[in-house]
Amino acid sequence: MTNLIKIWRDDKADPAGSAPQSELRSDDVEIDVNNVSIVFETPKGQVIAADRVSFQVCRGEFMCILGPSGCGKSTVLNSIAGFETPFEGSVSVAGHLVTSPGPDRGMVFQQPNLFPWKTVRQNIAFGPRMLGKDRQHVVEITNTLIEMVGLVRFADAYPHTLSGGMQQRVALARVLANRPSVLLMDEPFGALDAQTRVLMQEHLLKLWAQIRTTVVFVTHDVDEALFLADRVLIMSAGPGRIKCDLKVPLPRPRTQKIALDPAYVAMKEKCLDLIRTASLLAFEQQGAVSK
Amino acid sequence: MPTANGSLRFRLHAVISGLSIPIFLCLWELVSRSGIVNVVLFPPPSVVAVAMLEWVKSGQFAVDLTFSTFRVVIGFVSGAIFGAAFGILTGRYPLFSSLFSPLFHLLRPIPPIAFVPIVILWFGLSEAGKFFLVFWGVFFTVWLSTHLGVQKVDQGLIRAALTLGTPQRKLLREIIFPGALPYIVVGLRTAVGISFYTLVAAELAGAFAGIVYRIDIAEQNLQTGQVMGGLVVLGAMSFIADRTFASLAQRFVWWR
Repeated sequence: MTNLIKIWRDDKADPAGSAPQSELRSDDVEIDVNNVSIVFETPKGQVIAADRVSFQVCRGEFMCILGPSGCGKSTVLNSIAGFETPFEGSVSVAGHLVTSPGPDRGMVFQQPNLFPWKTVRQNIAFGPRMLGKDRQHVVEITNTLIEMVGLVRFADAYPHTLSGGMQQRVALARVLANRPSVLLMDEPFGALDAQTRVLMQEHLLKLWAQIRTTVVFVTHDVDEALFLADRVLIMSAGPGRIKCDLKVPLPRPRTQKIALDPAYVAMKEKCLDLIRTASLLAFEQQGAVSK
Repeated sequence: MPTANGSLRFRLHAVISGLSIPIFLCLWELVSRSGIVNVVLFPPPSVVAVAMLEWVKSGQFAVDLTFSTFRVVIGFVSGAIFGAAFGILTGRYPLFSSLFSPLFHLLRPIPPIAFVPIVILWFGLSEAGKFFLVFWGVFFTVWLSTHLGVQKVDQGLIRAALTLGTPQRKLLREIIFPGALPYIVVGLRTAVGISFYTLVAAELAGAFAGIVYRIDIAEQNLQTGQVMGGLVVLGAMSFIADRTFASLAQRFVWWR
């Protein structure tokens, strides 16, 4: 594990990437989403998926976007990834305007999206290989990541032989192999069973404690958001808007027991109320549409 | 006991399927020799076997087999290469699709055999005409399956590749092609069968050697044994080609 941190920091152009969160200053803004609106053209007309969404994420911060399904949280994430072009407004990452997908913003999807014709090892090595890294580096970082996600025994297995949780660990390792400054996660554990999901959350926090990239994590699960995040952004649907921006003042490292902390319980109550109003609104609107 | 019963039944099935062809041959021999049918038009398998042996001994068989195989291979390989290349272009780039797809959809349903007269006008009885007919049949099959395969490549894989920093020029080789490969392989296997259909048309239309040409000549001489021998060889060729291709396909698409 120390090996990875070494590789990570050695090659990193900017050592501030591993700075602890407490040292953050206002000029440490990594992601700047500025007044972004995204409109989809559908056969029934235009749908506003995101309406003047603005927020900033600091370097090294772990932020969750929480909201009911259909509130446009994935759309906002896709605009940071470069898959959606804003109708108005702009997204910049590390001071650069986002216009297309790129390896500085690694993305983990709800589906693992592993290349079925490649082994675990080849999947993880894919990113560095595409970036033209030298062979030695590719081998080193691939081996380290295989070890970190605990898949040494499955390094030469094909994805279809792995369980859902293992596949998602490969997907995470594959993205980390590029050492992205931003990690985007779109409900990555949404398709997993409850037990595996909890283990994956703990695993993610352990990894993140070492690499300290900026994370934007989209979820509809309040517990997941509170367990993982420094900050939670709550979105409401129709059109997608930011409803609330909450700091999560819970200490790290966290374990599942944090759910018993009164501060956690208070925050959960608040989030559940906000989410409920947002979901109700979405529910009624969807009902109205189907009529 | 169910297991013993099961294995017994399995062995019984194995024995019956092993007897299937010999029983058929015996029946055929009996019917032919019984006098119910005209033995000249319906020779028994023993006569067919003798005819095939003479065919091989005369040295003519090697020549016929070489010509037919050559026509199928050249037509198939060129049709497959062009079909796959155009399929990738039209599947991936809407501009190419708008340009070529309407034309290909217009030409594709015309049975390749219908092109025999025009091929004779264009190429005479040359080998080029035979290659062309096989090519024509293979091309559209492979084009269509490649086109569909490219369009059906999982968008999630493309997105994953893009966020991992894959440049557009590498996307084709790294993701689109392997992603479409299962479809392409199915198209190629269908095309193996089609290349034999078109071979028949090409050789019947006029040739100087070939398995189907030999069948045609034997028919004119009322050598029914030879005709049937030719059919047996054609069946065997087609069968071997299909089996070989199936096992190759397994290797090309190893992750399925």
